[in-house]
Amino acid sequence: MSDATPAKDRVWEVFRQEAEGDPMVHGGSVKAPDEELATHYAREFYGRRQESERLWIVPREAITELDDPDLLKPPFDRSFKRPGGFLIKHKLEAARERAGTAPAEEAGE
Amino acid sequence: MDEAARAEAFYAHVSGGGKVEPDDWMPDDYRAAVLKFVEMHANSELMGVLPEREWILRAPTLRRKLALTSKVQDEVGHAQLLYRVAEDLGKPREQMLADLLAGKTKFHNVFHYPTRSWADVGIIAWLVDAAAIVSQQALRDSSYAPYARTMKKICWEESVHIMHGRDVVLTLMNGTDAQRASVQEALDRWWGPLMQMHGPPTDPATDRDLIWKIKAKGNEQLRQEFLSIYVPRIWELGLTVPDPLLAYDEAAGQWVYTEPDWAELRSVVTGHGPKSQERLEFRREARDATQWVRDAIIGPVGTAAA
Amino acid sequence: MTELDAQTQEALAELLLSMADDEFVLGFWDSEWTGIAPILEEDVAMSSVSQDEIGHAKALYELLAGLTGDDADRIAFGRPADGYRHAALMNHARTDWASSIARRFLYENADAIRLESLANSSYQPLADLVVKMRREETYHLLHFDLWLRRLAEGGEESHSRLAAAIDELWADAQAVFAPLAGEARLMAARILPETLETLRARWLERVRPRLEALGLPVPAAATPPDADGRIRHTEEFAWLHGEFTMVARSDEAATW
Repeated sequence: MSDATPAKDRVWEVFRQEAEGDPMVHGGSVKAPDEELATHYAREFYGRRQESERLWIVPREAITELDDPDLLKPPFDRSFKRPGGFLIKHKLEAARERAGTAPAEEAGE
Repeated sequence: MDEAARAEAFYAHVSGGGKVEPDDWMPDDYRAAVLKFVEMHANSELMGVLPEREWILRAPTLRRKLALTSKVQDEVGHAQLLYRVAEDLGKPREQMLADLLAGKTKFHNVFHYPTRSWADVGIIAWLVDAAAIVSQQALRDSSYAPYARTMKKICWEESVHIMHGRDVVLTLMNGTDAQRASVQEALDRWWGPLMQMHGPPTDPATDRDLIWKIKAKGNEQLRQEFLSIYVPRIWELGLTVPDPLLAYDEAAGQWVYTEPDWAELRSVVTGHGPKSQERLEFRREARDATQWVRDAIIGPVGTAAA
Repeated sequence: MTELDAQTQEALAELLLSMADDEFVLGFWDSEWTGIAPILEEDVAMSSVSQDEIGHAKALYELLAGLTGDDADRIAFGRPADGYRHAALMNHARTDWASSIARRFLYENADAIRLESLANSSYQPLADLVVKMRREETYHLLHFDLWLRRLAEGGEESHSRLAAAIDELWADAQAVFAPLAGEARLMAARILPETLETLRARWLERVRPRLEALGLPVPAAATPPDADGRIRHTEEFAWLHGEFTMVARSDEAATW
């Protein structure tokens, strides 16, 4: 920390909820010496235009970051963990052809 | 991987559209370039408050007073957002403010000029903010991700300002002869600085901010965009632009105009504009007068734990 | 409720004007902090509060305009300086941060008590407006209590500046509850549910202990406000009036 930083100033990350039921999304950060002032400032920067349903105010030090690609994007195929990893189009066409059927439609539609 | 190879991989990453976060490793050159860019932007938002601030007290209706106070408040907010981005690159806010007030760092040309009338308030909110938004929209895809994200928020907030500015101008243009004349007079004074605002054209082969995708568009491209959108809107109000050469060249597909006074731009941004020193002094006085508050609330500078 | 008679309407107009002018003038003084407040984040907060006040003033002027057939902007911008009816507390110019915080603390608490009482006003449009204003005032009360505490406990310098500011503003703060000519009328009509003196006593009960607890003593004697607490004005206000009417006066017939 350099000489130019005041002793009691801290960074607080602000998360906001756009509409009821939405996930909390990171908005930005404010500086304040304590939680109370940080909360007022979070309201000013991320809520004064009535743009947020809810705010979370978190001291930056409370956040743990993981960005290691070895953990988050390891090289081996993991497509079996995602819907897009299963390509059924041709198998489905073959099955319909063998059974002589038309594509299934949901009952009651 | 040695430092040079690491840097080369980094530059390939950003030039290819890759993004950078604050805690990522980055070459000193890149860090310095982003910091300089963002710091000047932050300084400009902060200094940009001053030309309009004096008219907050003079706004002639309740609604105008609210809109103008809100607009200026937003500029202060933008300064905060941008100083936060710059600070996370390693330069403390207090140091940036000290450098600005000591004249060591710069702020954009338009904020060095006086505001003489209510018409100026309209012209600034409409056209100066418009020119700024053209730049800012192009920054929403910056390689430095915190800056890109901040630009998205800023662009959303600025769109209100332009509507407010245009509304002020339109009301004046639909008013008395004196009101119309005041708009033309203000436009005549502001046109020069507006044309200089995006800066002289730079060489894409050597403009590192472009190469490293800190910014997405060159200065001339931004100016052309501004002219294409706003000159027709100026003309449709019956206003004239004080440049006899200004015209759209269909064949060339671009606007032609009198070469802006680049010497004036250089002189102004180095602190020799009509209001540069007065505004810096005003800020210094305000800062000094409130130092006791910061000392009490966040502690004096130089007292941080190592 | 039934139509108001002329005298009651006049008394109501006086009440609305006093409240609107308090918010309007204070909103103006504090809007001067925009861009130069001590901390960037606080700059935005103070500006929001000032905008709230102007918004409340606007709503009160509009209510008044509806009553008298006038226009809100004309009421706000069209009177000579001696036609304004803000409390003497608002005659003081914006000076330093301690003074602004002191004024805000004193005023927000006074306004809160005034609004609490008027929420039960028999004049429904005012009661409805008061309910809305009180919701916004919650933030104001929190914010300025916070700052009062921070400055009181922030060390020798901030404490003494704050104490000096409270001392200077104390007498004029009483004027928020200065008597109104039509007070008896308003009480009879139950537009004003309680006397201004009752409200002032309640205000003293609220702010005195708070100030004393923070080591900011205030005069023990509860001297009532001067009868001209909303009528006498200062050169500082005359300057402010000149500023805020400057553009509007340049062409009174024009639309801005």
